[in-house]
Amino acid sequence: MSENRSGSSLSRRTFLTTTAASAAGLAAAGSLATHPSPARAQTKSGVVRVWGEPGPYAGVAVDGMNEWAQQNAPGLKFEIETIGWGSVYVKLMTDLAAGQPANLISVESPLAYQLMAEGLLEPVDDVVDTIGRGRMIEGTKWEYWGNWKGQQYVVPAHHQPHLLMVRMDIINELGLSNPDTWTWDDLLNAAKTIHEKKKMPGIALALGRNLATAYYFAALLHSAGGRMFDVGNKFEVVFDSPETVETLEFIDRLRPYMPRGATEYSFLQVVDSMVTGEAAMVFYWGRVYGRAAAEAPEVFKNIESFNHARHPRTGNRYNWNDFQGWAIPKQNNPFIDEVKQAVAYYQTKREWLIRYVHSLVPNVSPVYKDVAEDPRLLDHPFFETKKDTIMNYYVHSLKHASNTGNELLKGVNPLAGIVHGRLILAQTVQKVVLDNWAPSKAAKWGAQQLESVRKEHFRLVI
Amino acid sequence: MPRGHSYSGLSDRQVGILFIVPFLVTAVVFIAYPVAQAVLMAFYSINPLRPGDATFVGLDNFYYLFDDSLFWDSFIQATVWTLSSIALQTVLGVALALLLHVPLRGISVFRGLLLFPYIVPTVVIALIWRWMFNPEIGIVNHSLMSSGLIEENVYWLSTPTIAMASTVMLNVWKYTPFVIICVLAKLQTIPLELYDAAKVDGAGVWQRFRDITLPQLKEVLVVVVIFRTIWTFNKFEEIYLLTKGGPGTSTFNLAIYSFEQSIANLRMGVGAATAVIMMGVLLVGSILYLRVFRFAEEES
Repeated sequence: MSENRSGSSLSRRTFLTTTAASAAGLAAAGSLATHPSPARAQTKSGVVRVWGEPGPYAGVAVDGMNEWAQQNAPGLKFEIETIGWGSVYVKLMTDLAAGQPANLISVESPLAYQLMAEGLLEPVDDVVDTIGRGRMIEGTKWEYWGNWKGQQYVVPAHHQPHLLMVRMDIINELGLSNPDTWTWDDLLNAAKTIHEKKKMPGIALALGRNLATAYYFAALLHSAGGRMFDVGNKFEVVFDSPETVETLEFIDRLRPYMPRGATEYSFLQVVDSMVTGEAAMVFYWGRVYGRAAAEAPEVFKNIESFNHARHPRTGNRYNWNDFQGWAIPKQNNPFIDEVKQAVAYYQTKREWLIRYVHSLVPNVSPVYKDVAEDPRLLDHPFFETKKDTIMNYYVHSLKHASNTGNELLKGVNPLAGIVHGRLILAQTVQKVVLDNWAPSKAAKWGAQQLESVRKEHFRLVI
Repeated sequence: MPRGHSYSGLSDRQVGILFIVPFLVTAVVFIAYPVAQAVLMAFYSINPLRPGDATFVGLDNFYYLFDDSLFWDSFIQATVWTLSSIALQTVLGVALALLLHVPLRGISVFRGLLLFPYIVPTVVIALIWRWMFNPEIGIVNHSLMSSGLIEENVYWLSTPTIAMASTVMLNVWKYTPFVIICVLAKLQTIPLELYDAAKVDGAGVWQRFRDITLPQLKEVLVVVVIFRTIWTFNKFEEIYLLTKGGPGTSTFNLAIYSFEQSIANLRMGVGAATAVIMMGVLLVGSILYLRVFRFAEEES
């Protein structure tokens, strides 16, 4: 940290030395952050722009950071700017291209991987040392959020899987088996049975030209054993495969039991279809529970979430997990040091992290052991009736976690962010469900697009 | 004081130039420079995340476009969207302007109300229309169903062909008032004596419209059509907000294609090349159109 740039009375080296010495124990680190020495007082003033996805949790985190600011940099105010999921990539790229990104961004891991490989993020190993490297819950690693060539670029905010969400009243009424035991065939049969007997969509998935579609497709593809790239083999494209074809065929077989407008559905429409009672099953993150509790208590009472149906051959039941984290754009960012200190402060204050998780149960899952094991975490009304579902989101989903940026958790792939930006997976699905292409032809088309991404951006991964 | 000189000692010519300077500066900064920059960018490979790494690629960006089927789809769709929007706006605009030209009590209130779609911000309109077109809870389906015109919900924004028609409807609804205002203004300047003389000669309503009104409106319609064509062909926000170019890419026009190439695909040069082609198409189209209607000659 340069004195001139930050205007701080403490250099980053001094800060790191101080915090590294205290990092031996979390308590010590927490104590350091809670009681900053007068020497660390900041003189800078202004607004620190923070990007977060929709939901109350990023606002809670910002409140925690503002607590740090009040104590250490009274002239600074952290302000949240909420960016819709579908707009994140475009907004991010536009502002980065203009050289005016926010000072701190909460971003899903595939996009974070792209940005860190592009050299647009500030390394945060010093912050991680302060937070404590041994705090991660079982089944996770720091690299899931964003580690590239030995440096950490992202501080975990939460992990966030989508699971199979089911109206149990309908399942029970129709005598269907326990969704936790299902294979793809059982899922298809359930969707069909519900559609035929209840005269309603059995399942609602997003099939529009958007990220939601990509998330659903990717989880199914991974369960089938397919991938986009082979990270271990020079990031070769392996998308044109029987597994991709099989996944596209499966989606096409599910389609008759979905709402007719599903080919245009994105995140919001899928939530709507569950909360309004239109559909009996969806793949979704935990935020549906908060909205259902507020708007449709009957639906809330009857929904439960399970790990996804198993692929009949592989037995895999992968979900999509965002591994959402905090990243600091380094371009034209005058508040890097202040942001680091505020993030370290907030991440070492367990009460803020619990408040963060409580702000939208069970959408944002805790990532630190001490938070996950804190008895105060259970102090939320949803634990009274939805404990199994919550534990599925928080804990049991992790052994089935995957996403496009870290397929089957076999290695980080910065090309995934670009794949997202171009909506290649969603377009591949649309070739089948909208343009009536044969799945094999769509798989070939998708593979060509992925090859184009690899060719154009290979410099990111060499 | 010599003739042609002002009190400041400047000649009339110099004062004239002085008045033009603000416009010239604005035009250079906000029009000429960006256009020149866009044309230049069309010959470079530029990743917006690494603007400093631009490399000269000659005509490669144009070759890429001509080889990309989505570019041609977007071009055709942009043409369909523009022509159908303009045709409907012109016909409806003239018809409604004729109705509003009738001297009735309170007609000025109707004229004012007609401006409403033109005044409301596009983002508000697009969001309202998304709700109106919602297949399950939208008022459009509800009304059509209630009146017995349809038996099952129409998926306005999820069916490729209907989605294009929906975007055209929005554009027509929003911009027809512009045509009405222009036509109405011209209608009010047509001498009534022309109509009186025609009536005396036995001309009917249609003949009066065809032989008096339309020729009188010709100049204003030429201008209106040319402006509306340019604006509609370049339109981005309405389609983006309503359908995002979907379902699939069925409502992509060239503006959305350019945006996708620049930001989503990180190919700023290809996006710029698309913009250059759009500019060329509109320029050629405008010149041809003006020539056909001999507008420039009549003006001179």
